[in-house]
Amino acid sequence: MTATVVDALAPVATTIDGRVPPWHGFGTLWLRRLQVTTKTASGIIGQLMTPVLWILVVGPALADSLGSFSPGVDYYTFIAVGQVAFLIPFTAMFSGINVIVDKEFGVTREMLVAPVRRAAIPLANAAAVLTVTFVQVAIIVGLGRLRGAHFHTSLSRLPWFLIATALLCLTMYGVAETLALRIGRQEAFGPLIPAIGVTPYFLSGALYPLSVLPDGIQQVGFLLPWTHAVALMRYGLMDGTNPRLDDIWHLGSDPLMAVLSAAVLAAYAALMLTIAVRTFKRTTLA
Amino acid sequence: MTETAFQATESLRERSRYGNDPVRVRDLRKSYPNGVAALRGVSLAAYEGEIFGLLGPNGAGKTTTVGVLTTLVRPTAGEALVDGRDVVVDPLGVRRRIGVVFQDSVLDNEFSGVDNLRLHARLFGLPRDIADARIDALLRLMDLYQRADDGVRTYSGGMRRRLEIARALLAGPRILFLDEPTVGLDPEVRNEIWRLIADLRQREGVTIVLTTHYLEEAELVCDRVGILHAGVLVALDTPRRLVDALGEQIIDVRVLSDAAPVAIALTQTGVGSHAPLVASGSVTMASNAPSGDLADVLGSLAGAHAQVVGTAVRRATLNDVYLHLTGGATDHPPAPDGDPR
Repeated sequence: MTATVVDALAPVATTIDGRVPPWHGFGTLWLRRLQVTTKTASGIIGQLMTPVLWILVVGPALADSLGSFSPGVDYYTFIAVGQVAFLIPFTAMFSGINVIVDKEFGVTREMLVAPVRRAAIPLANAAAVLTVTFVQVAIIVGLGRLRGAHFHTSLSRLPWFLIATALLCLTMYGVAETLALRIGRQEAFGPLIPAIGVTPYFLSGALYPLSVLPDGIQQVGFLLPWTHAVALMRYGLMDGTNPRLDDIWHLGSDPLMAVLSAAVLAAYAALMLTIAVRTFKRTTLA
Repeated sequence: MTETAFQATESLRERSRYGNDPVRVRDLRKSYPNGVAALRGVSLAAYEGEIFGLLGPNGAGKTTTVGVLTTLVRPTAGEALVDGRDVVVDPLGVRRRIGVVFQDSVLDNEFSGVDNLRLHARLFGLPRDIADARIDALLRLMDLYQRADDGVRTYSGGMRRRLEIARALLAGPRILFLDEPTVGLDPEVRNEIWRLIADLRQREGVTIVLTTHYLEEAELVCDRVGILHAGVLVALDTPRRLVDALGEQIIDVRVLSDAAPVAIALTQTGVGSHAPLVASGSVTMASNAPSGDLADVLGSLAGAHAQVVGTAVRRATLNDVYLHLTGGATDHPPAPDGDPR
């Protein structure tokens, strides 16, 4: 052993020798999850395939065949926004597999003995999934624009679209993390990805207005975070067109209804992330 | 090694009087929700700079103890201090001061060896320049420098274990926890890992707390050992003292059928230092009697009992201590071949 080695192994001062800041490790864990995700490009591409097909082929074909369901509404743009609402929960649910893999291969345990607050681990993972989601959403919106979707937004409207994207993603990540931790096996979790990530989408008003659904089903739709997200996204990205917020709230004022839907989504996101963090703590501390 | 370890421990014991032992556990208890009491009042201390071995059969509480000390398991009662920090009150403070090598490999398979180390360095808040220097040095020390940029998926079992030890040492821990560091490795790699662990203690003064099933290896490497059985610490001392307390020699008697009459006869000879241990097909008894006397005793025993098919006298080992204290629990793997040093 050389003198260099001895020096290098001696105890060192670190940036956290005092009190460990609450955010310590968050950035590192966020970057790690991002790197893991980007190393499995097949996952990202697989998640994009269906919405891309809709944006490029199915959406225009449906719009040409069916026309619009009401005057002033461009059906292609209508369902192009809906595809964003399809993509987000699918991506978030898919990330639950990474949670299981990390646990199975012990990587989570390695993080648990690092000087990082327990909550930082699932929250950093959620932030990484949010980052990936924003990139994917940008691709879908960009392709939609190139294919002829008429997005109209402004500095005051765009934040509503971004908020809806973020809150729906965080809500569904909370669901994915909780289920992945509780189920713990890829083969059992896998079938839940389409069941939970996709099925409710059909009741959200993404492909047709909620008002055309039968009574009872409509009310179920009102309860779904998808529904509020889709309406908010249209409010943010389809300025000048009825965002169908009134289908949910029947209040007449779009700004007020947008705030209410955002509040519902925020409540969902806070609830699901809280449950996910608690589940993480409970399942990792014997 | 035993002699050296013994002397080292005497010196360590002297130092521990100042009360700043890196690991101090008092009346530690852990019960799981299913009602299993994994720890039932364990008290122990690991002294500065020593290699402390926790031994015991499966389910004895070794991994639970290490789990508590590394903040992965919350104790039900009692106190556990690591470098003076309470594991319940200040778990982040504890984690800042420890390195952990788990029984199962927990490397991030998506990354290279060096990237695994970089991730760990960032999590422990090492400044970039210091992290780079230490990573470089540790990769060389562990003979991984040439493969540092390769994905860890391509590493052999020994390489993975060496990388995990390097990672655990990266942030300059006061205490290194090793949970079964050599399990599943071939004898050659096991010897290499033990040599490395002994070197680390010798040259760097790192306090090491380890669990192992390999008792012969523990006897050679550990300064002191604690033997756990059913959640209770049944022995705590240097391997040498534990062996001496049992008896210098071990009488092994192999029998064809019922061993009980032979055990009774052996007890009645009066040469045993402890009650005999009866297992299927054998009776074992510790003794401090001279070898000549034991040969006579065994000769007459074989003559009187037809079921005796073989006898032997050998030096007592830590394995014998373990068997006597745990009532013959033999769920640990057979002793490895070769000298771990």
